Amino acid sequence: MTRTLAFTREQLRAPFTLVLLIAVPLLFVLSAAGTLHDFSSALGGSLAGDAAVALSAGWAAAFLSGALGFFEAASSRGADRRLALAGLGAAKVAISRIAASITLATVAAVTAVAALELRGGVAHPWHAVVAVIAFAWLYLAVGVLVGSVISDPLTGSLIVVFVFMLDVFSGPGMSANAAPWAISRKAADVLIAAGLGKSSSTGDWLALGVSTAVALAAAFFVFALSARPRS
Amino acid sequence: MRSEGVQEISVDPTLVGVTFPASSALDDAVGEPTDDESPVRASKGGVVLNVTGLSKRFRSGPPWRRRQVDVLDDLSLEVRAGELVGLVGENGSGKSTLMQAIVGLLGRDAGSIDRPARLGYCPQQPLLWDKLTVAEHFTLFATAYSMSEADGRAAAASMLDELQFARYENYRVERLSGGTRQKLNLALALMHDPQLLLLDEPYSGFDWETYLRFWEMSGRRRDQGMGILIVSHMLAERERLDRIYELRNGRAVLL
Repeated sequence: MTRTLAFTREQLRAPFTLVLLIAVPLLFVLSAAGTLHDFSSALGGSLAGDAAVALSAGWAAAFLSGALGFFEAASSRGADRRLALAGLGAAKVAISRIAASITLATVAAVTAVAALELRGGVAHPWHAVVAVIAFAWLYLAVGVLVGSVISDPLTGSLIVVFVFMLDVFSGPGMSANAAPWAISRKAADVLIAAGLGKSSSTGDWLALGVSTAVALAAAFFVFALSARPRS
Repeated sequence: MRSEGVQEISVDPTLVGVTFPASSALDDAVGEPTDDESPVRASKGGVVLNVTGLSKRFRSGPPWRRRQVDVLDDLSLEVRAGELVGLVGENGSGKSTLMQAIVGLLGRDAGSIDRPARLGYCPQQPLLWDKLTVAEHFTLFATAYSMSEADGRAAAASMLDELQFARYENYRVERLSGGTRQKLNLALALMHDPQLLLLDEPYSGFDWETYLRFWEMSGRRRDQGMGILIVSHMLAERERLDRIYELRNGRAVLL
């Protein structure tokens, strides 16, 4: 707990982190939803107005969480490894680092949902909350995973952005045939349904939970692997 | 720094004056603390670091134009408790690579490294969190070293006092000068009273007074039985060292 708090404080002490955590989701949801609808129509997708608004919250939280996860893992890699080697162990450092990232990603997700409410609300708000948090955690995992193996800020952030763009433009709503491998596909399905006032099936909820858990487990595994002692 | 003890040790008894059972591991060579002795003082002379046949090569470039650089090649050296051993060599000779391999930051291609569980490592470039304070660093590392809260606080206070940077206790690392960062870097390696201390050019950025105090500290700990391996460049430092290894063509040559 002490370590997680310390790592969270570390991120929040960066001058613009807190500002970005609030400003990015807010601005994106308030300004980009209409554009998303136009994009969707141009690409042959079926994203209706309400669904586009809801989905914009998910993508805002995802983008911010991916960037946060990457920079948190990459920028403190040396010190984290030193702490692990000092006797704490790679697994404990990984848990603390990911827990700190989850805290911040959740703040981004909650801000995004609050922006949704500001924009007029969503038919199933609690479904939207869960789906947006899932978006945030999925991309947090992507960011941590990339940050665990690539320390160069430019290369790493470009990879996170590339994954995000590929996911956005091949996911449900934006494409007539959503790619089955799209990372946030289930989160998007649930969020679109919430925006349209429909309930998601148990299978969708289950798939959402499993995909998020698998992503976080993969991030933990790769982070711990990169921080382990070499022999 | 590894939590497990050392599995094997091969020590020439004539060198150290004691016989080490193979299963005792290096931790046992140091002995149990007594009322009037620090843990490291109890068995001055035991081997605390034994590197045998260590090889490390770096590969770079695509598979069809793979380049390979052998940095360490069948390198062997040892450090005993109560010794201050220098490691010298040209730039790029592999001194930092050797240190990182001993600590576990780098893997090795061949060879064995026997070292105690209680190890202190001061890297050449301070590995710290810019946004955390000096006090927060001590707290995190005290946890990593399995120290109680009280012991961690006492060790931190002692380090702050000894290296004379107590007034920066609540400063974030990003606001510290290079020399004060280096003090913290060193203090984190020392705070748990390690059996073996690895110092990779620990005094870069120190002013003259701190530099002298650093050698006093090192000498005092050496006298208490700590084994210290230090990367050193300056000729003037050689008289402070008990033994010196020079890295040449990937091997450690005793000067």
